Amino acid sequence: MSNSPATNGSRPSSAVVLAAGEGIRLRPLTANRPKPMLPAGTRPILEHVLNALINAGIDDIHLVVGYQANRVRSHFGPTYRETPVTYHTQANQLGSGHALLQARDGPSGSFLLVNGDQIIDHQIVEAVSTAHTDATATLAVVEGPEAVDYGAVHLSGDEITELIEQPATGEFRLFNAGVYAFSQQIFETLETLSVERGELPLTDAIQQLINDDNHTVGGVRADYFWMDATHPWDLLSLSRELLSRGWVDPPAVDTNVYVADSAHVHPDATLIGPVVIDSDAVIEAGAVVGPYAAIGASSTISSGSVLSDVVVDTDTTIGPNTTAIELVAGQGCKIGAALTAGGGPADVVLDDQVYSDVDLGGVIADRVDVGAGATLEPGALIGPEATVGTGVVIRGRIDAGSEVVR
Amino acid sequence: MCGIVGCIGRGNGTVDVLMEGLRSLEYRGYDSAGIAVGPSMRVLRKSGELDALAEVVDANEPTGTYGIGHTRWSTHGPPTDRNAHPHTDENGRVAVVHNGIIENYATLKAELEEMGVTFTSDTDTEVVPHLIAQALDAGEDPETAFHNTVDRLEGSYAIAAIIDGSETVYAARQGSPLVVGVGDGCTYLASDVPAFVEYTRDVVFLNDGHRVIATADGYTVLDEDRKPVDVDVETVSYTAEATGKSGYNHYMLKEIHEQPTALRQCFSGRSDALEGTVTLEEIDEIPQPNAVQFVACGTSYHAALYGAAILREMGIPAEAYLASEYALSPPPLSLGTLVVGITQSGETADTLAALRDAKSRGVSTLALTNTVNSTAARECDHAVYIRAGPEIGVAATKTFSSQLVGCNLLAEELVDGPRDLRPLIESLRNLPDDVQSILDTSAAEELVEEYGDSEAYFFIGRGKNVAVALEGALKCKEISYEHAEGFPAGELKHGPLALVTPNTPVFAVVTGDDERARKTLGNIKEVQARGAPVIAVTDGQSDAAEIADETLIIPETEERAAPVLANVQLQLFSYYLADALGRPIDKPRNLAKSVTVE
Repeated sequence: MSNSPATNGSRPSSAVVLAAGEGIRLRPLTANRPKPMLPAGTRPILEHVLNALINAGIDDIHLVVGYQANRVRSHFGPTYRETPVTYHTQANQLGSGHALLQARDGPSGSFLLVNGDQIIDHQIVEAVSTAHTDATATLAVVEGPEAVDYGAVHLSGDEITELIEQPATGEFRLFNAGVYAFSQQIFETLETLSVERGELPLTDAIQQLINDDNHTVGGVRADYFWMDATHPWDLLSLSRELLSRGWVDPPAVDTNVYVADSAHVHPDATLIGPVVIDSDAVIEAGAVVGPYAAIGASSTISSGSVLSDVVVDTDTTIGPNTTAIELVAGQGCKIGAALTAGGGPADVVLDDQVYSDVDLGGVIADRVDVGAGATLEPGALIGPEATVGTGVVIRGRIDAGSEVVR
Repeated sequence: MCGIVGCIGRGNGTVDVLMEGLRSLEYRGYDSAGIAVGPSMRVLRKSGELDALAEVVDANEPTGTYGIGHTRWSTHGPPTDRNAHPHTDENGRVAVVHNGIIENYATLKAELEEMGVTFTSDTDTEVVPHLIAQALDAGEDPETAFHNTVDRLEGSYAIAAIIDGSETVYAARQGSPLVVGVGDGCTYLASDVPAFVEYTRDVVFLNDGHRVIATADGYTVLDEDRKPVDVDVETVSYTAEATGKSGYNHYMLKEIHEQPTALRQCFSGRSDALEGTVTLEEIDEIPQPNAVQFVACGTSYHAALYGAAILREMGIPAEAYLASEYALSPPPLSLGTLVVGITQSGETADTLAALRDAKSRGVSTLALTNTVNSTAARECDHAVYIRAGPEIGVAATKTFSSQLVGCNLLAEELVDGPRDLRPLIESLRNLPDDVQSILDTSAAEELVEEYGDSEAYFFIGRGKNVAVALEGALKCKEISYEHAEGFPAGELKHGPLALVTPNTPVFAVVTGDDERARKTLGNIKEVQARGAPVIAVTDGQSDAAEIADETLIIPETEERAAPVLANVQLQLFSYYLADALGRPIDKPRNLAKSVTVE
């Protein structure tokens, strides 16, 4: 049975959040910021993660940061929602176990571990907290066909007896949701392992605990909402989910219509819910925004534009008479008049892999300038700081900083 | 300037409360620090940063149930152990901490010395405990002794004292900040709210002349005639955010990176982009002034230069004055003039003096400040907040950027007449992202590798970029300790050009492509002819980048927003220069965050 340290047994009040990764498959959106800072609705994914932790009663947050760490630090500062935030730097991204080790001096006693790029219902956090009594580690277990992608578990009663990293399709339906509670023992176990092939995965340490008769790894079913983004187009479905659930910051002004107090919506503009307009954003006359549109802080949607199924991040201007369907636009973009992005489906090539029939009108990364009358063919990806000339038709991928004149 | 704290009613936690309070006031001074606790009347003090005192406290484990504390920035006497506060009388019956200056201390000291009192420090403060002790010897009770002593003091001060045999903390405010924190069964005193915000957000902001008598049973506020005063307890919405560097090496770098957020907060809800209008609710009712005089010190003065330039372009006679000169050599002031004090802390003594002088001459005053309920905000007829959030680094960064935006909002609100502000609004709304793009891509750190061992650094600009040049030089000198000067570009040839050599890089701030930009290009060639390397800080609209040896590029924007961006590049250069030189960036020698002495 369990032989865990005395620090166990109390409900964890600290949490470690892993937010050091770039998210390579989300390029070009991650050129200037790590994956957890990409928009989910109008706020960074990580903000939703911290909200879930705080809503579940966590009062001490440790963020492991690495890639573009300053973006995380300056967004949250030393406290978030009056909860102290401590930063731990992972200089090289060597896997989740290595990331957790960077926070070794952080929490005292048992603590929670969550991913900074995965949105979770606070009930998952609560379930794991409550279930974590005298096990060395406790995992949230959820059921679904995704087991193939996330690694399956074998749950016997409330104990995890096996981790199956690469299960055959359909063989398992229970898998590790990536929300953990640990005793301090996890650090000791991690330190006995070494970085191999450039990686020290957390699951290696958990596997070790399972194999060790002195330790127990608990599991708790937590079938609540969770979602992450692996590819750029996942930001659209993430935004859809959040809007449907009303997990947005601005107040509701009508059914499924959320508008910040400081935003300005022209009386002749139309908002079709679910839609969220964040602070100081401007919606000009005649624009039709929604359904499923998330317009970030200080962005402008000019007259006559029609937008549905879009995520427009902060400080971006969409020119007049634009039509955009299934579009992700980053921060600080200047889109000229009458852009056309008609929506998917498309075949998208990412990282030498072809994804077929993706519902994606296009992705425009940060600080892109687009001239008037440009058209995005479905699935177009425009890199940061690129310039697109007047009337250009964009197909496929445009590199960062490049200029496209025709 | 200094910071003082006090507390009573916290039992054995007293020492911890005092030390934590001092830690959050450390930005106000860090030459030396000390605490005194009763009823033991133990006094511990130490020169150097607060950690030095913390070691002494750990070693001595003083006990007490009430006490006072002080973190010092020297005005009288060098930073040594014996000049550290608290100061005591000869027998250790009275301990006093003090922020400000006692102007008649020489007279009082001579008088006391004549009576045989021996002074152990060079400070003006030490007269206070001796005066109280004399009064006690004359048979007065402690409270009367305290009042009679305070009655004799001239100057500006916030004082807190404990007296042997009286389980009470006594305090008085005259011209220096002092606030009371109202806890559950306990009372706190401090120069600023962050000292006790961890324990209570219920605060009494004292006025000049107020005195506080705090015991374990509660507190009483009295006026100069020792009559009880009804005071309002306000709840402040301060968060504990004032502490913590978020993993940055320095507060300054953290605050540089916070500028996108600070600028967003400053501008949020204050414009209507659809209508093209700007509204500052705080001063919606003010009529258009006939003229505007800005008063400010240091970095805020540079914001004032910029603000005055904007107003003049809009047809309003406007000038910026150094506050320390203003009150002593006041310029003519006609009725209908608005005097605007720019002060981050709202407690800058020189600026307060200038504002009081203006007010005494019957004109309206306005404070443009970062600190809600600060003395400037309360004493002026109007207050506009820049909402930059707490700034701890001594070198002002984000507050300067927000002051520039504040000046734009102020000017547009003050000046009547229809005009389309949409281009300006768009450029101000874009500032957060424009600043972020500089933070993401700046080449300033690489320039330090190239030019980090130069003899001196010069900064030039014209028009509104004069303020940027002066601020760039001030930032550089205050944190790197290197010789740095800023000049209006046209002034170089009238003297400073003699300083220019191949070993003095010149930063030329050139934005837009107007007559000012073109003339500055001429000045660039002028210094290049003397062999000086030129670093152009430019938006690429003029030929500056082609002519200069190096470039710090900023995004293209409207001409009023460009100075904010250019300044960010210079902030980064100064920061990385000081970092490469190993300077204590957040606490440069001889400087304090906000200067509450004149």
